Amino acid sequence: MKKRILSSLLAMTLVVASITGCGAAAEQAPAAETQTETQAQPEAAPAETTEAAAETTEATSDEPVTLKWALWDVSSTVYYQPLIDAYTAAHPNVTIEMVDLGSTDYSTVLGTQLSGAGSDFDVVTIKDVPGYVSLVNKGVLEPLNDRIAADGVDLSLYNGVTDQVTIDGNLYELPFRSDIWVLFYNKDIFDKAGVDYPTNDMTWEEYDKLARSVTDTTPGAEVYGSHYHTWRSTIQLDGILDGKHTIVDGEYDFTKPYYEMVLNQQKDGVCMDYATLKTQGLHYSAAFAQGNVATMNMGSWFIATLIQKIKDGEYTDCTNWGIVKYPHADGVEAGSTLSTITALAVPTSAPNKDAAWDFVKFVSGAEGAEVMASTGNIPAMTNKTIVDIIASMDGFPTDEASKEALMTSHTYLEMPANDKSSEIETVLNEQHDLIMNEEVSVDDGIAAMNEGVQAVLAQ
Amino acid sequence: MKSKKNNRIIGNIIIYALLILLALMMLVPFLWMISASLKFNKDVFVIPFEWIPKAPRWQNYIDIWTKIPLAKFTLNTAKLTLIVTLLQLFTSSFAAYAFAKLEFKGRDLLFLAYVATIAVPWQVYMVPQFMFMRSLGLADTHLAIIILQAFSAFGVFLMRQFYEGIPDSLCEAARIDGMSEYEIYAKIMLPLSKPALSTLIIFTFVNTWNDFLGPLIYLTTESKKTLQIGLKMFISQYSAEYGLIMAASVLSLIPVFIVFISLQKYFVAGITTGAVKG
Amino acid sequence: MAAELTAMEQNMKRRQRKRNLVAYSFIAPNFIGFAVFTLGPIILALLMSFAEWDGSNAMKFVGLSNFTQIFADERFTSALKNTIIYSIFTVPITLVMALALAILLNQKIKGKSFFRTVAFFPYVASLVAVAAVWNMLFTPAKGGIVNQLLMNVFHAQPLKWAASSSTVMLTIIMFSVWKNMGYYMVIYLAGLQGISEDLYEAASLDGANAWQKFVNITVPQLKPTTFFVTIMLTINCFKVYDIVYMLAGGSNGVVNKSAIVLVYYIYEEAFRNWKLGRASASALVLFAIVLVVTLIQFRGEKNYAND
Repeated sequence: MKKRILSSLLAMTLVVASITGCGAAAEQAPAAETQTETQAQPEAAPAETTEAAAETTEATSDEPVTLKWALWDVSSTVYYQPLIDAYTAAHPNVTIEMVDLGSTDYSTVLGTQLSGAGSDFDVVTIKDVPGYVSLVNKGVLEPLNDRIAADGVDLSLYNGVTDQVTIDGNLYELPFRSDIWVLFYNKDIFDKAGVDYPTNDMTWEEYDKLARSVTDTTPGAEVYGSHYHTWRSTIQLDGILDGKHTIVDGEYDFTKPYYEMVLNQQKDGVCMDYATLKTQGLHYSAAFAQGNVATMNMGSWFIATLIQKIKDGEYTDCTNWGIVKYPHADGVEAGSTLSTITALAVPTSAPNKDAAWDFVKFVSGAEGAEVMASTGNIPAMTNKTIVDIIASMDGFPTDEASKEALMTSHTYLEMPANDKSSEIETVLNEQHDLIMNEEVSVDDGIAAMNEGVQAVLAQ
Repeated sequence: MKSKKNNRIIGNIIIYALLILLALMMLVPFLWMISASLKFNKDVFVIPFEWIPKAPRWQNYIDIWTKIPLAKFTLNTAKLTLIVTLLQLFTSSFAAYAFAKLEFKGRDLLFLAYVATIAVPWQVYMVPQFMFMRSLGLADTHLAIIILQAFSAFGVFLMRQFYEGIPDSLCEAARIDGMSEYEIYAKIMLPLSKPALSTLIIFTFVNTWNDFLGPLIYLTTESKKTLQIGLKMFISQYSAEYGLIMAASVLSLIPVFIVFISLQKYFVAGITTGAVKG
Repeated sequence: MAAELTAMEQNMKRRQRKRNLVAYSFIAPNFIGFAVFTLGPIILALLMSFAEWDGSNAMKFVGLSNFTQIFADERFTSALKNTIIYSIFTVPITLVMALALAILLNQKIKGKSFFRTVAFFPYVASLVAVAAVWNMLFTPAKGGIVNQLLMNVFHAQPLKWAASSSTVMLTIIMFSVWKNMGYYMVIYLAGLQGISEDLYEAASLDGANAWQKFVNITVPQLKPTTFFVTIMLTINCFKVYDIVYMLAGGSNGVVNKSAIVLVYYIYEEAFRNWKLGRASASALVLFAIVLVVTLIQFRGEKNYAND
């Protein structure tokens, strides 16, 4: 009986498979067609695009166009509408329709939407580098090199960030927002302890000493000198700021001093215990808002949250805050820090590629940068004027050091573009978790990172 | 006699003690939700947890309606849930009758295929399914969600198992009386399977009401989105408003409870002596 | 004579055909929707396990290489092992708890419908809330309620629960039983309504005690329900995902080898790495295991039906 069921099941599967197989092949065909079409385009196009690009912007300028823009968090992001308004004011024929795909599963949804060849997005926002790399590997993003060359976009204004997301000589996105990591601190805690504020030029040892000097381990009235969110970035990446290492080269011995520093802090109650933080699910903003965290390393995106929440009256215990530059290794100039970028790209399936590119160029360019700054966010194209605009925002700390903290000397992406970035991430995150839980020693964890990432790179 | 009575009393006390203990364990998450829904986000995950907030923020229950189009989302969800549940109820109980009470070619095999597909995680066929639906022009439509949910194998399996418990002799007797299979289904099986139908309604309702990933992938237009997508809108890239999420979650549980409680009364013995003798 | 026989045969055949048609007409409304929108994509997805595909570029047939790759991947083998361990413990414990709960709440007790609703609660409550409460009890800190109990009553070492590789699966199993037993209780409750009171009355007349009634009436009568619950539980255990992510997600939400489960691995391969072929291959392994379990169960049910 069982045998019969099995064999007939097998037979049926084969029949249905051949049917759907054919269906799939038919379904596949148009996709493959467009694939070759788009692949063929760059070969034929270069000669034309140089002229055509200039022409088309004029030619299409009076025809009404609607651009579909994939993004996330429409209701809580302050700059989308101003960017659109600024662009459409100069291009009245263009309408821009925002499509919110949600922030939590953005990369999954966008990847699914761009699968095959039926998507009608003209512009897509790229949330992180692994997401960018996977879309590039899927071949669904338009290479921008020719357009950049044709329109004379000056990539040097992006402070070298675009080099870190160039894949095989091609750039597929233009960044418009860039967040740098800084050290947030609660001035009230330092005042109360009678300790000087952190400065824009601290070595890691000085930072460690400072954090310890304001720590109070009295049960029930704890003050934490430092706070590290559960992300690996908060500790692992401190090591790449000397410019000698990257996070994708398969060699992680340089992270050891930072792990040791934080583990010792954890042991001495200077910072909260990783295991507890992980299970409790405490968000870093809530931790800082409790008013018992003296310093916290975090991205500049937290500035906007702090200003807003203090204004709303939700945060009452950290109203007196400031920022300083990231601490640095001995012998390295202050001002090196980590950054993350948010970028725009044009899918190969976009119905209005030329108009889409024009919009991307605008948002990522100088005009877009000013709009971004006026909403309190750091654009990817940044300079002294932009910093002045941000620092003059209502609610931003008024001390000079906080303003100065926004000026950087070198920025390193949290994750540079690499074919294997998402697999590397997995290995690094896993070992970070084990080390911080004190389940493996720092040395063993680093050895496992080296081995794991090298295995991924060798594939 | 007296000791027997005492035993029963002691037994009852034990049962109730057990029940109350269990109830407490089960209720704590609900109390947590209510408590969290009356707090600022920054205080939600702080330990020690403040069960009764010192300054309850009733404002959360107002904010959820203004920060996102929650009313519209609720309406969409209600519409989808209603249609899916009705379709599911009809098609599943109908198909299950054939699987349980009729002999036909390929029955066991088809049934096995039904059950086996439940084992395939949606994440695996989500992409080909989405591409197929889009080629039919169903992307960004409520119809897509209805189709995805209404023909599930789960309902057929559930109903078939309950029909199995109803004695075949009932159907045989009806056939001899000259009833058609459709009449047997409508006049004998359906009335007898109220507890099972109630179970199916509850499960389908809960599943569709709480479905997140399906609507997230398919529905991109704001005005078509559902409640669960709305809840996730309070989690933005850089902050998560758990106070608001819990306020909306507490409210979104109300319909679930109404359905559950109102269907409770059908959880009574379905087969009576008379019916078996039929 | 011979003609008569063929006429009879034809008649029987016709009747059989008509019976088939009636049966198919019952199945059709569900089956057509199911076959087109679910079964088709599923079969396509399972075939994808022999191909390399990222959702966009042309599919490439690669034979069994996806399988050799995943079995060489330590994250996959860990996921397979964890999922099996998780299921082996969770299925029987949840089943017994759900049945016990259903029988308890099927008695003539006051506030029955209140208790039933409450028992269903953890299943419908927001996972965030249930996990938050759980983590308050089972926090890795020494001051946690369960750890205090361990130290003061049992004089044992405090445990790190979900935060430690050695106890994380145990924590997930306990959590899962607590969260889901109410769901299966509802199914059992419905099943219990199908048992005729007559059977119990007859048994009482024969002088059977409660235990004997349970073993000789309740258990056999519930067999179709138990079949359903066992298979659904097994399938759902093999598909466990969000609970694990919620309780054991570490740095950037990544779940470690000590707690990774199959569907989490599938998700990672499909949507982080966009290796849909490997994701499908993993799903096919999951599918094969569940199919074997189902077939064994199926035979058990058939034997019972033939009894």
